[in-house]
Amino acid sequence: MYTNDQKQHLQFAPGHSVIITLRTGLIRAVLFTLIWWILTDGAMNSWLVGVPVVLFATLVSVQLLPPFSWSLIGIIRFVPFFLWRSLYAGVDVARRAFDPSLPISPQMYHYRWRLPPGLPQVFMANTVSLLPGTLSAELGDEFLYVHVLDKTGAFASELMILEEYVADLFGLKLITDRSEE
Amino acid sequence: MLVTEILSSLLLIAGAIFFLAGTVGLLRFPDVYTRLHALTKADNVGLGLVVAGLVLQAESWTVAGKLLLIWLLVLLASASIAHLVAKAARKKGIELWK
Repeated sequence: MYTNDQKQHLQFAPGHSVIITLRTGLIRAVLFTLIWWILTDGAMNSWLVGVPVVLFATLVSVQLLPPFSWSLIGIIRFVPFFLWRSLYAGVDVARRAFDPSLPISPQMYHYRWRLPPGLPQVFMANTVSLLPGTLSAELGDEFLYVHVLDKTGAFASELMILEEYVADLFGLKLITDRSEE
Repeated sequence: MLVTEILSSLLLIAGAIFFLAGTVGLLRFPDVYTRLHALTKADNVGLGLVVAGLVLQAESWTVAGKLLLIWLLVLLASASIAHLVAKAARKKGIELWK
C-alpha cells in the first residue's frame, strides 16, 4: 500500500538508528527539562529530583515512542494554520448553537487516507475534531470516518488541505494516485 | 499596564462566551455526534482565550508556560475523548440525526 520510500521515512535505515535515537533522546530531554523548569518555577533545589526524572522520562519516551521523522518547517507552517482554523471552528459551532433555526445537516463522510498508518493518521484524526464542522468518529484502515456537522460546507477540500499540512509536519509526501497499486 | 488589563478582561469574557456556546450546543444539538462538535470546538477556543487572557496577567514565564501546558493537555484530551465517544456510539449503532 505504501511505497518503500515512505516506509524508509517512517523507520529509518538500521545503520543510522543509533545516531537518530541519540538525537531524538537529546531533543526530548531538552523538552522535558523545559517542562520540569515550568512546573517547579525554576527552583534550584528541585533539580536534585528533576535531573533523574528527566533522564528517566527520556528513556521511557524513546522506548514507548521510537524516533519518527518530522520537519521543523512543517511545524512552523502547521501551528498558525491550526490556531486560525480551530478558532474559526469555535466561532462556527457557536454560531450554529445560538442560531434559533439550528442550521445543521449532519452526515457521515468516508475520507480515503493518503497518510501512512501510525502516528500521522492518529495525529490527523485528533486534529480533525478541532477543525470546523468535522469530528473523527473512527479510524479505519482505508478510511477516516468523519462526522460532518453541515454537509453543504466545503469539508472535503478542508480535510485534504489538513492532510497535506500533517504530511508536511511529519516530512512525508502524500500518495497522489493509488489506482496503479 | 492598563491596556494589558483591558485586553486580558476582553479575552476572558470572550472565552466565557465560547464556554456558554459549548453548553448551549450540548443542550440544543440533537444527537451524541453533534453534541461532541459543540463541546470539543467551542470549549477548545473558550479555554484558549481564557489561557491567553491569563497569560497577559502572568507574573513570570513559568506561570505562562504552565497555562500553555494546561491548554495543550486539554486539547489532546478533548480531541482523543471526543473520538473515543464517537467511536463507541458508532459501535453501538447509534444512528445520525438527519
